[in-house]
Amino acid sequence: MATSPTVHIVCSDQHRNGKTLLARVLVDFLMLDGRDPFCIDTDAPDGPLRAFFPGRTALADFAAIQGQMKLFDTILASPGRDYVIDLPARHTERFFQTARDLDFFAECHKTGFRVFVFFIVDNSFTSLKTAYAMQREPGVDLFIPVRNMLVRSHWPENEGALTIPFLAAPIASAISNRRFSLREFVNGDPQGLAPDLVRELQAFLYDVLNSLNGLEPVRALGGPGQP
Amino acid sequence: MMKPTLILVGADKGGVGKTTVARSLLDYFARKNVLTRAFDTENPRGSLHRFYPAITEVVDLGNVAHQMRILDTMETANVPVTIVDLKAGNLSYSLDLFERIGVLEAARNGMFTLGLFHVVGPSIASLDEIGEIAKYLSGMQYVVARNSINETNFFEWDEATYRKYFSQIAKTQEINVPKLNEMAYEQVDVAGVTFKDFIDNRAADGSQGKFSFVLRGYVRKWCSEIDAEFAHVKMLQDVLSGGRQQ
Repeated sequence: MATSPTVHIVCSDQHRNGKTLLARVLVDFLMLDGRDPFCIDTDAPDGPLRAFFPGRTALADFAAIQGQMKLFDTILASPGRDYVIDLPARHTERFFQTARDLDFFAECHKTGFRVFVFFIVDNSFTSLKTAYAMQREPGVDLFIPVRNMLVRSHWPENEGALTIPFLAAPIASAISNRRFSLREFVNGDPQGLAPDLVRELQAFLYDVLNSLNGLEPVRALGGPGQP
Repeated sequence: MMKPTLILVGADKGGVGKTTVARSLLDYFARKNVLTRAFDTENPRGSLHRFYPAITEVVDLGNVAHQMRILDTMETANVPVTIVDLKAGNLSYSLDLFERIGVLEAARNGMFTLGLFHVVGPSIASLDEIGEIAKYLSGMQYVVARNSINETNFFEWDEATYRKYFSQIAKTQEINVPKLNEMAYEQVDVAGVTFKDFIDNRAADGSQGKFSFVLRGYVRKWCSEIDAEFAHVKMLQDVLSGGRQQ
Protein backbone atom coordinates (compact mmCIF):
# COMPACT_ATOMS: atom_id res chain seq x y z
CA MET A 1 0.00 0.00 0.00
CA ALA A 2 1.98 3.00 1.18
CA THR A 3 5.31 3.26 -0.59
CA SER A 4 6.84 5.74 1.82
CA PRO A 5 6.74 5.59 5.61
CA THR A 6 3.28 6.41 6.78
CA VAL A 7 1.69 7.27 10.09
CA HIS A 8 -1.66 5.45 10.12
CA ILE A 9 -4.11 6.82 12.65
CA VAL A 10 -7.07 4.57 13.42
CA CYS A 11 -9.80 6.40 15.24
CA SER A 12 -13.44 7.21 15.74
CA ASP A 13 -15.50 9.48 17.91
CA GLN A 14 -17.57 6.55 19.16
CA HIS A 15 -16.77 3.54 21.30
CA ARG A 16 -16.75 -0.15 20.44
CA ASN A 17 -17.02 0.00 16.69
CA GLY A 18 -14.01 -2.00 15.56
CA LYS A 19 -11.06 0.38 15.81
CA THR A 20 -8.69 -2.13 17.33
CA LEU A 21 -9.79 -4.83 14.86
CA LEU A 22 -9.03 -2.47 11.98
CA ALA A 23 -5.70 -1.44 13.52
CA ARG A 24 -4.84 -5.11 13.96
CA VAL A 25 -5.70 -6.00 10.35
CA LEU A 26 -3.72 -2.97 9.20
CA VAL A 27 -0.62 -4.01 11.13
CA ASP A 28 -0.84 -7.53 9.72
CA PHE A 29 -1.42 -6.14 6.25
CA LEU A 30 1.71 -4.00 6.48
CA MET A 31 3.74 -6.95 7.73
CA LEU A 32 2.44 -9.17 4.95
CA ASP A 33 3.51 -6.42 2.58
CA GLY A 34 7.05 -6.76 3.90
CA ARG A 35 6.97 -3.62 5.99
CA ASP A 36 7.97 -3.27 9.61
CA PRO A 37 5.24 -1.29 11.37
CA PHE A 38 5.44 -0.13 14.95
CA CYS A 39 2.24 0.39 16.90
CA ILE A 40 1.28 2.92 19.49
CA ASP A 41 -1.65 1.87 21.58
CA THR A 42 -3.12 4.84 23.43
CA ASP A 43 -5.79 2.80 25.17
CA ALA A 44 -3.95 2.61 28.47
CA PRO A 45 -3.90 0.76 30.76
CA ASP A 46 -5.63 -2.09 28.86
CA GLY A 47 -3.63 -1.89 25.63
CA PRO A 48 -5.87 -4.08 23.44
CA LEU A 49 -3.66 -3.68 20.34
CA ARG A 50 -0.53 -4.36 22.34
CA ALA A 51 -1.99 -7.71 23.34
CA PHE A 52 -1.72 -8.82 19.71
CA PHE A 53 1.66 -7.28 18.92
CA PRO A 54 3.50 -7.09 22.25
CA GLY A 55 6.93 -6.91 20.65
CA ARG A 56 6.15 -4.00 18.37
CA THR A 57 3.76 -1.88 20.39
CA ALA A 58 4.29 0.94 22.84
CA LEU A 59 1.51 1.67 25.29
CA ALA A 60 1.07 5.42 25.71
CA ASP A 61 -1.55 7.02 27.91
CA PHE A 62 -2.44 10.05 25.85
CA ALA A 63 -4.14 11.73 28.81
CA ALA A 64 -0.69 12.35 30.33
CA ILE A 65 2.08 14.43 28.80
CA GLN A 66 4.47 11.51 29.19
CA GLY A 67 2.13 9.50 26.97
CA GLN A 68 2.05 12.29 24.40
CA MET A 69 5.85 12.34 24.43
CA LYS A 70 5.96 8.60 24.02
CA LEU A 71 3.70 8.85 21.00
CA PHE A 72 4.96 11.90 19.13
CA ASP A 73 8.62 11.72 20.13
CA THR A 74 8.88 8.01 19.35
CA ILE A 75 7.56 8.55 15.84
CA LEU A 76 9.67 11.58 15.04
CA ALA A 77 12.81 10.15 16.62
CA SER A 78 12.65 6.96 14.54
CA PRO A 79 11.48 7.81 11.04
CA GLY A 80 11.74 5.45 8.09
CA ARG A 81 9.16 2.91 9.21
CA ASP A 82 5.38 2.74 9.34
CA TYR A 83 3.44 3.52 12.47
CA VAL A 84 -0.07 2.53 13.44
CA ILE A 85 -1.73 4.58 16.16
CA ASP A 86 -4.78 3.08 17.81
CA LEU A 87 -6.81 5.89 19.34
CA PRO A 88 -9.77 5.17 21.60
CA ALA A 89 -12.74 7.50 21.18
CA ARG A 90 -11.96 9.35 24.40
CA HIS A 91 -8.59 10.54 23.04
CA THR A 92 -9.54 11.29 19.44
CA GLU A 93 -10.49 14.95 19.78
CA ARG A 94 -7.59 15.71 22.10
CA PHE A 95 -5.14 13.90 19.85
CA PHE A 96 -6.02 16.02 16.84
CA GLN A 97 -6.07 19.23 18.90
CA THR A 98 -2.63 18.43 20.31
CA ALA A 99 -1.34 17.47 16.86
CA ARG A 100 -2.53 20.87 15.62
CA ASP A 101 -0.99 22.72 18.59
CA LEU A 102 2.33 20.98 18.11
CA ASP A 103 2.26 21.11 14.31
CA PHE A 104 2.80 17.38 14.37
CA PHE A 105 1.63 16.60 10.85
CA ALA A 106 3.89 19.28 9.35
CA GLU A 107 6.79 17.79 11.31
CA CYS A 108 5.81 14.33 10.01
CA HIS A 109 6.03 15.60 6.44
CA LYS A 110 9.41 17.20 7.13
CA THR A 111 10.62 13.85 8.48
CA GLY A 112 9.42 12.04 5.35
CA PHE A 113 6.17 10.57 6.67
CA ARG A 114 2.76 10.62 5.14
CA VAL A 115 -0.30 10.79 7.35
CA PHE A 116 -3.30 8.54 6.75
CA VAL A 117 -6.37 8.77 8.96
CA PHE A 118 -8.82 5.87 9.18
CA PHE A 119 -12.02 7.12 10.77
CA ILE A 120 -14.78 4.66 11.59
CA VAL A 121 -18.05 6.41 10.89
CA ASP A 122 -20.57 5.06 13.32
CA ASN A 123 -24.31 4.84 13.00
CA SER A 124 -24.91 8.37 14.28
CA PHE A 125 -25.14 11.85 12.77
CA THR A 126 -22.56 13.07 15.27
CA SER A 127 -20.07 10.60 13.89
CA LEU A 128 -20.86 11.64 10.32
CA LYS A 129 -20.40 15.31 11.22
CA THR A 130 -17.10 14.56 12.92
CA ALA A 131 -15.97 12.58 9.87
CA TYR A 132 -16.77 15.46 7.52
CA ALA A 133 -14.92 17.88 9.80
CA MET A 134 -11.94 15.56 10.05
CA GLN A 135 -11.84 15.19 6.28
CA ARG A 136 -10.65 18.79 6.19
CA GLU A 137 -7.96 18.29 8.84
CA PRO A 138 -4.85 20.12 7.61
CA GLY A 139 -1.78 17.98 7.05
CA VAL A 140 -3.63 14.70 6.52
CA ASP A 141 -2.53 13.12 3.24
CA LEU A 142 -5.37 10.66 3.00
CA PHE A 143 -8.59 10.53 4.97
CA ILE A 144 -10.23 7.11 4.82
CA PRO A 145 -13.80 6.88 6.07
CA VAL A 146 -14.53 3.38 7.32
CA ARG A 147 -17.84 1.55 7.43
CA ASN A 148 -18.06 -1.35 9.83
CA MET A 149 -21.04 -3.42 8.78
CA LEU A 150 -21.31 -4.87 12.26
CA VAL A 151 -22.24 -1.52 13.80
CA ARG A 152 -23.53 0.04 10.54
CA SER A 153 -22.63 3.50 9.39
CA HIS A 154 -24.10 6.85 8.45
CA TRP A 155 -21.44 7.37 5.80
CA PRO A 156 -23.33 7.86 2.49
CA GLU A 157 -23.50 4.78 0.27
CA ASN A 158 -22.49 6.76 -2.79
CA GLU A 159 -19.28 8.06 -1.21
CA GLY A 160 -16.20 5.87 -1.20
CA ALA A 161 -15.19 4.21 2.04
CA LEU A 162 -13.25 1.27 3.31
CA THR A 163 -15.74 -1.36 4.35
CA ILE A 164 -15.25 -3.88 7.13
CA PRO A 165 -17.65 -6.71 6.31
CA PHE A 166 -19.90 -8.29 8.89
CA LEU A 167 -18.01 -10.75 11.00
CA ALA A 168 -19.99 -13.58 12.60
CA ALA A 169 -19.77 -13.87 16.38
CA PRO A 170 -17.96 -17.25 16.45
CA ILE A 171 -15.19 -15.90 14.22
CA ALA A 172 -14.97 -12.65 16.13
CA SER A 173 -14.66 -14.67 19.29
CA ALA A 174 -12.00 -16.99 17.84
CA ILE A 175 -9.79 -14.24 16.51
CA SER A 176 -10.11 -12.18 19.68
CA ASN A 177 -7.73 -14.67 21.28
CA ARG A 178 -4.45 -12.80 21.46
CA ARG A 179 -2.62 -15.90 20.24
CA PHE A 180 -4.56 -15.91 16.99
CA SER A 181 -2.48 -14.34 14.25
CA LEU A 182 -4.30 -13.04 11.19
CA ARG A 183 -0.99 -12.97 9.37
CA GLU A 184 -0.36 -16.65 10.06
CA PHE A 185 -3.91 -17.36 8.97
CA VAL A 186 -3.34 -15.61 5.65
CA ASN A 187 -0.15 -17.64 5.29
CA GLY A 188 -2.17 -20.83 5.53
CA ASP A 189 -2.31 -21.72 9.22
CA PRO A 190 -5.98 -22.04 10.32
CA GLN A 191 -4.88 -22.17 13.96
CA GLY A 192 -7.62 -24.62 14.88
CA LEU A 193 -10.49 -22.72 13.23
CA ALA A 194 -13.36 -24.91 11.95
CA PRO A 195 -13.39 -25.27 8.14
CA ASP A 196 -16.64 -23.30 7.64
CA LEU A 197 -15.26 -20.48 9.77
CA VAL A 198 -12.00 -20.62 7.84
CA ARG A 199 -13.87 -19.88 4.62
CA GLU A 200 -15.77 -17.03 6.24
CA LEU A 201 -12.65 -15.47 7.72
CA GLN A 202 -10.87 -15.86 4.39
CA ALA A 203 -13.69 -13.95 2.69
CA PHE A 204 -13.59 -11.27 5.38
CA LEU A 205 -9.84 -10.78 5.13
CA TYR A 206 -9.93 -10.94 1.33
CA ASP A 207 -12.31 -7.96 1.31
CA VAL A 208 -10.48 -5.89 3.93
CA LEU A 209 -6.97 -6.57 2.63
CA ASN A 210 -8.13 -5.83 -0.92
CA SER A 211 -9.54 -2.49 0.24
CA LEU A 212 -6.31 -1.65 2.05
CA ASN A 213 -4.37 -2.61 -1.05
CA GLY A 214 -6.46 -0.19 -3.07
CA LEU A 215 -5.60 2.80 -0.93
CA GLU A 216 -2.37 3.61 -2.69
CA PRO A 217 -4.08 4.09 -6.07
CA VAL A 218 -6.76 6.13 -4.27
CA ARG A 219 -4.06 8.33 -2.86
CA ALA A 220 -2.44 8.64 -6.33
CA LEU A 221 -5.77 9.63 -7.84
CA GLY A 222 -6.35 12.31 -5.24
CA GLY A 223 -8.68 10.76 -2.73
CA PRO A 224 -10.78 12.71 -0.26
CA GLY A 225 -8.95 14.54 2.46
CA GLN A 226 -5.88 15.19 0.39
CA PRO A 227 -4.29 18.58 0.66
CA MET B 1 16.30 58.48 17.74
CA MET B 2 13.93 56.59 19.99
CA LYS B 3 14.13 57.12 23.71
CA PRO B 4 15.62 54.15 25.58
CA THR B 5 13.19 51.98 27.47
CA LEU B 6 13.84 50.67 30.95
CA ILE B 7 11.58 47.83 32.03
CA LEU B 8 11.54 46.69 35.64
CA VAL B 9 10.14 43.28 36.44
CA GLY B 10 9.36 42.78 40.06
CA ALA B 11 7.20 41.53 42.88
CA ASP B 12 7.37 41.76 46.63
CA LYS B 13 6.31 38.19 46.91
CA GLY B 14 8.63 35.40 45.88
CA GLY B 15 7.78 32.52 43.58
CA VAL B 16 5.22 34.34 41.47
CA GLY B 17 7.07 33.89 38.18
CA LYS B 18 9.02 37.14 38.04
CA THR B 19 12.04 35.70 36.26
CA THR B 20 9.75 33.82 33.89
CA VAL B 21 8.19 37.13 32.87
CA ALA B 22 11.63 38.72 32.45
CA ARG B 23 12.70 35.77 30.32
CA SER B 24 9.51 36.01 28.29
CA LEU B 25 10.19 39.68 27.61
CA LEU B 26 13.77 39.00 26.52
CA ASP B 27 12.56 36.18 24.29
CA TYR B 28 9.79 38.32 22.87
CA PHE B 29 12.20 41.08 21.88
CA ALA B 30 14.67 38.52 20.48
CA ARG B 31 11.93 37.06 18.28
CA LYS B 32 11.12 40.59 17.11
CA ASN B 33 14.81 41.35 16.43
CA VAL B 34 15.01 44.08 19.07
CA LEU B 35 18.31 44.25 20.93
CA THR B 36 18.07 44.04 24.69
CA ARG B 37 20.29 43.90 27.70
CA ALA B 38 19.37 42.68 31.13
CA PHE B 39 20.37 43.14 34.73
CA ASP B 40 19.72 40.46 37.28
CA THR B 41 19.56 41.76 40.83
CA GLU B 42 19.44 38.25 42.28
CA ASN B 43 22.94 38.89 43.54
CA PRO B 44 25.22 36.93 43.52
CA ARG B 45 23.55 33.89 41.95
CA GLY B 46 21.44 35.39 39.16
CA SER B 47 18.80 33.04 37.81
CA LEU B 48 18.16 35.23 34.76
CA HIS B 49 21.87 35.24 34.01
CA ARG B 50 21.80 31.45 33.64
CA PHE B 51 19.49 31.70 30.65
CA TYR B 52 20.93 34.83 29.01
CA PRO B 53 24.61 34.89 29.99
CA ALA B 54 25.64 36.94 26.95
CA ILE B 55 23.36 39.90 27.65
CA THR B 56 22.80 39.71 31.40
CA GLU B 57 24.84 41.20 34.19
CA VAL B 58 24.31 40.31 37.82
CA VAL B 59 24.21 43.48 39.91
CA ASP B 60 23.59 44.60 43.46
CA LEU B 61 21.03 47.37 43.26
CA GLY B 62 22.19 48.81 46.57
CA ASN B 63 25.66 49.39 45.16
CA VAL B 64 26.10 52.82 43.57
CA ALA B 65 28.58 51.59 40.97
CA HIS B 66 26.05 48.97 39.89
CA GLN B 67 23.26 51.55 39.77
CA MET B 68 25.47 53.54 37.41
CA ARG B 69 26.04 50.47 35.24
CA ILE B 70 22.31 50.23 34.66
CA LEU B 71 21.20 53.82 34.53
CA ASP B 72 24.10 55.86 33.21
CA THR B 73 24.60 53.60 30.20
CA MET B 74 21.07 53.58 28.82
CA GLU B 75 21.88 56.20 26.17
CA THR B 76 25.33 54.94 25.29
CA ALA B 77 24.68 51.20 25.23
CA ASN B 78 23.04 51.42 21.80
CA VAL B 79 20.48 48.92 22.97
CA PRO B 80 16.91 50.20 22.95
CA VAL B 81 15.61 48.07 25.80
CA THR B 82 17.04 47.43 29.25
CA ILE B 83 15.30 44.90 31.45
CA VAL B 84 15.95 44.72 35.17
CA ASP B 85 14.81 41.61 36.99
CA LEU B 86 14.30 42.79 40.56
CA LYS B 87 15.18 40.40 43.33
CA ALA B 88 12.21 38.73 45.02
CA GLY B 89 10.80 40.91 47.78
CA ASN B 90 12.63 44.00 46.55
CA LEU B 91 10.01 45.76 44.48
CA SER B 92 9.03 48.43 47.02
CA TYR B 93 12.66 48.86 48.06
CA SER B 94 13.79 49.31 44.45
CA LEU B 95 11.08 51.79 43.59
CA ASP B 96 11.84 53.74 46.73
CA LEU B 97 15.54 53.74 45.84
CA PHE B 98 14.81 54.89 42.27
CA GLU B 99 12.62 57.66 43.65
CA ARG B 100 15.37 58.82 46.00
CA ILE B 101 18.11 58.87 43.38
CA GLY B 102 15.94 60.64 40.81
CA VAL B 103 15.36 57.80 38.34
CA LEU B 104 11.58 58.07 38.54
CA GLU B 105 11.77 61.83 38.22
CA ALA B 106 13.93 61.52 35.09
CA ALA B 107 11.36 59.15 33.58
CA ARG B 108 8.54 61.58 34.45
CA ASN B 109 10.53 64.28 32.64
CA GLY B 110 10.63 62.09 29.54
CA MET B 111 14.34 61.27 29.48
CA PHE B 112 13.49 57.63 28.91
CA THR B 113 10.47 55.37 28.97
CA LEU B 114 10.05 53.55 32.24
CA GLY B 115 7.83 50.53 32.61
CA LEU B 116 7.07 48.19 35.44
CA PHE B 117 5.84 44.65 35.02
CA HIS B 118 4.44 43.84 38.42
CA VAL B 119 4.03 40.11 38.66
CA VAL B 120 1.30 39.06 41.03
CA GLY B 121 0.28 35.64 42.14
CA PRO B 122 -3.13 34.45 43.24
CA SER B 123 -3.01 35.57 46.84
CA ILE B 124 -4.24 38.56 48.82
CA ALA B 125 -0.66 39.24 49.99
CA SER B 126 0.45 39.47 46.42
CA LEU B 127 -2.44 41.74 45.47
CA ASP B 128 -1.81 43.99 48.47
CA GLU B 129 1.45 45.01 46.82
CA ILE B 130 -0.50 46.88 44.17
CA GLY B 131 -1.71 49.39 46.76
CA GLU B 132 1.69 49.63 48.41
CA ILE B 133 3.53 50.72 45.28
CA ALA B 134 0.81 53.00 43.88
CA LYS B 135 2.61 56.11 45.09
CA TYR B 136 5.58 55.48 42.80
CA LEU B 137 3.71 54.91 39.59
CA SER B 138 3.29 58.41 38.22
CA GLY B 139 5.02 58.75 34.84
CA MET B 140 5.53 55.04 34.59
CA GLN B 141 3.84 52.49 32.35
CA TYR B 142 2.46 50.03 34.81
CA VAL B 143 1.58 46.50 33.78
CA VAL B 144 0.11 43.99 36.18
CA ALA B 145 1.17 40.53 35.04
CA ARG B 146 -1.16 37.98 36.50
CA ASN B 147 0.67 34.73 36.61
CA SER B 148 -1.73 31.86 36.21
CA ILE B 149 0.63 29.29 37.63
CA ASN B 150 -2.21 27.50 39.32
CA GLU B 151 -4.84 28.25 36.69
CA THR B 152 -6.45 30.56 39.19
CA ASN B 153 -9.00 33.23 38.37
CA PHE B 154 -7.61 36.00 40.58
CA PHE B 155 -10.74 36.54 42.61
CA GLU B 156 -12.79 37.38 39.54
CA TRP B 157 -15.52 35.36 41.19
CA ASP B 158 -15.57 38.00 43.97
CA GLU B 159 -16.18 41.30 42.22
CA ALA B 160 -15.58 43.44 45.31
CA THR B 161 -12.19 41.90 46.03
CA TYR B 162 -11.24 42.01 42.37
CA ARG B 163 -12.21 45.67 42.01
CA LYS B 164 -10.48 46.59 45.24
CA TYR B 165 -7.13 45.56 43.85
CA PHE B 166 -7.34 45.96 40.10
CA SER B 167 -9.31 49.19 39.82
CA GLN B 168 -7.43 51.37 42.26
CA ILE B 169 -4.76 52.48 39.82
CA ALA B 170 -5.65 54.48 36.75
CA LYS B 171 -4.12 53.38 33.44
CA THR B 172 -3.21 49.95 34.71
CA GLN B 173 -2.58 47.51 31.92
CA GLU B 174 -3.11 43.88 32.71
CA ILE B 175 -1.76 40.79 31.09
CA ASN B 176 -2.23 37.17 31.92
CA VAL B 177 0.80 34.95 31.91
CA PRO B 178 -0.64 31.65 30.73
CA LYS B 179 0.22 28.38 32.38
CA LEU B 180 3.05 26.43 30.83
CA ASN B 181 3.02 22.69 31.29
CA GLU B 182 5.22 21.89 34.31
CA MET B 183 7.28 19.29 32.53
CA ALA B 184 7.98 21.63 29.62
CA TYR B 185 8.92 24.40 32.05
CA GLU B 186 11.25 22.11 33.97
CA GLN B 187 12.92 20.84 30.81
CA VAL B 188 13.70 24.40 29.69
CA ASP B 189 14.99 25.08 33.18
CA VAL B 190 17.19 21.99 33.21
CA ALA B 191 18.51 22.80 29.75
CA GLY B 192 19.36 26.35 30.85
CA VAL B 193 18.42 27.77 27.47
CA THR B 194 16.07 30.48 26.32
CA PHE B 195 12.51 29.57 25.37
CA LYS B 196 13.38 30.42 21.77
CA ASP B 197 16.40 28.11 21.71
CA PHE B 198 14.37 25.35 23.30
CA ILE B 199 11.73 25.68 20.58
CA ASP B 200 14.48 25.68 17.95
CA ASN B 201 16.03 22.57 19.59
CA ARG B 202 19.31 24.34 20.27
CA ALA B 203 21.38 23.40 23.33
CA ALA B 204 23.09 25.96 25.57
CA ASP B 205 26.42 25.45 23.75
CA GLY B 206 24.76 26.16 20.39
CA SER B 207 24.78 22.53 19.26
CA GLN B 208 21.69 20.62 18.13
CA GLY B 209 19.56 19.83 21.16
CA LYS B 210 17.77 16.61 22.01
CA PHE B 211 14.63 18.19 23.41
CA SER B 212 11.28 16.49 23.15
CA PHE B 213 9.19 17.53 20.15
CA VAL B 214 6.14 17.51 22.38
CA LEU B 215 7.68 19.75 25.03
CA ARG B 216 9.04 22.09 22.37
CA GLY B 217 5.55 22.27 20.94
CA TYR B 218 4.08 23.14 24.32
CA VAL B 219 6.66 25.90 24.78
CA ARG B 220 6.03 27.23 21.28
CA LYS B 221 2.29 27.37 21.92
CA TRP B 222 2.86 29.07 25.26
CA CYS B 223 5.14 31.66 23.63
CA SER B 224 2.50 32.43 21.03
CA GLU B 225 -0.01 32.95 23.85
CA ILE B 226 2.44 35.27 25.62
CA ASP B 227 2.99 37.15 22.35
CA ALA B 228 -0.76 37.70 22.13
CA GLU B 229 -0.71 39.16 25.66
CA PHE B 230 2.30 41.37 24.94
CA ALA B 231 0.58 42.65 21.81
CA HIS B 232 -1.75 44.59 24.14
CA VAL B 233 1.04 46.32 26.05
CA LYS B 234 1.54 49.79 24.66
CA MET B 235 5.11 50.19 25.89
CA LEU B 236 6.22 47.03 24.10
CA GLN B 237 4.43 47.96 20.91
CA ASP B 238 6.04 51.41 21.04
CA VAL B 239 9.45 49.74 21.15
CA LEU B 240 8.58 47.51 18.20
CA SER B 241 7.32 50.42 16.18
CA GLY B 242 10.48 52.38 16.91
CA GLY B 243 8.64 54.90 19.03
CA ARG B 244 6.30 56.02 16.28
CA GLN B 245 3.28 55.37 18.48
CA GLN B 246 4.58 57.37 21.40
